[in-house]
Amino acid sequence: MEPAEVEFLAEKELVTIVPNFSLDRIHLIGGDLGPFNPGLPVEVPVWLAINLKQRQKCRLIPPEWMDVGKLEEIRDQERKEDTFTPMPSPYYMELTKLLLNYASDNIPRADEIRTLVKDTWDTRMAKLRLSADSFVRQQEAHAKLDNLTLMEINTAGTFLTQALDHMYKLRTNLQPGEGSHSQEF
Amino acid sequence: MSEAYFPVGPGLGMEENFLSLDDILMSQEKLPGRAESALPRLAVLMGQGASSAESVPEGSKLEIPLWLAKGLHDSKRRIISVELPKIYKEAWRTVFSADANVVDLHKMGPYYYGFGSQLLNFENPENPEIAQTILQATGVAVLPVSDSVCSPQTFVARFRRIMDSSQNAYNEDTSALVARLDELERALFQVGQKGLNDFQCWEKGQASQITASSLVQNYGKRKLTEVDG
Repeated sequence: MEPAEVEFLAEKELVTIVPNFSLDRIHLIGGDLGPFNPGLPVEVPVWLAINLKQRQKCRLIPPEWMDVGKLEEIRDQERKEDTFTPMPSPYYMELTKLLLNYASDNIPRADEIRTLVKDTWDTRMAKLRLSADSFVRQQEAHAKLDNLTLMEINTAGTFLTQALDHMYKLRTNLQPGEGSHSQEF
Repeated sequence: MSEAYFPVGPGLGMEENFLSLDDILMSQEKLPGRAESALPRLAVLMGQGASSAESVPEGSKLEIPLWLAKGLHDSKRRIISVELPKIYKEAWRTVFSADANVVDLHKMGPYYYGFGSQLLNFENPENPEIAQTILQATGVAVLPVSDSVCSPQTFVARFRRIMDSSQNAYNEDTSALVARLDELERALFQVGQKGLNDFQCWEKGQASQITASSLVQNYGKRKLTEVDG
């Protein structure tokens, strides 16, 4: 899976926008949206919010968690704990990137938010490497990673599963009597 | 292009994958052995005689490729006996358990893991130790087979280093990093690099830009005469 595909999934998340046009309720596969009234906040998927924003038809209201104080708290919590802490959104990385790229004029202190989210990401990736290391060292066969987001899993996932696959094969070599022998003549 | 191409990967077990190019190259590697019985009219092939009538005498030392050794090996009919290559012998196994990271597996291999796994076909009494060492080199300790005390710290070292170097080296020259990795580890390193690169490209916004396919770029412009011919 590519990061763009993860982003595609993230674009289904809902954000609040303030439109500057009026439109009746629209019926889409997967849910009805609207009605849109100028100046009244309404929830729409991220893909629509970005499209409307690019056409200058709305103002975007940043998600509640996209706030310097809250993100600092999350970052410090992440650094303190050994395991992964719950993230404010399952797509925090994707949403930060999308919203900051297309609507940074609607988000206060956008640069600080970008830095904080990147710091949190780096902390979590370092933690992921560390836990993969001890997972391998302690000869585990399963692990529980509840609070890891899809983008994080996707970045290191192929590498990890392939490495574990190699190790599994090398480990089963040790069990005698398994697998057929070479051809008999 | 690479998404539409599904090469057969190496088997990495007691049996290789029949159509895997890596496994075919791996099974070409030579193995020291000895002829347990005379092999008539084969001296020319083994480079030991001049005329095609000469036979390989019993007990002569041979260097045979793995695929041939596998075919001729039989625990009942003793045609040839196979010896361990020196990197799978005890002296080297000790080096691996001391610190797997210092070994240049590309020079030793380059198919260290695959070849080692294939060696288990020859019912060598040291089989459990060999399998154990191969595993340790990748980073997993299973059961302590012999009494030799190995610290798990060293087993993990190689895995950790591949992971760290593949996930941290962005936009760097990686040739120094992969120089000492065996083919299997190199493939793993590439996978780790791809994950990192894809993510960085996405973050910079390059993923959303449409670029010409590398296939089209490679074609270049053809002259009219070439198209006609």
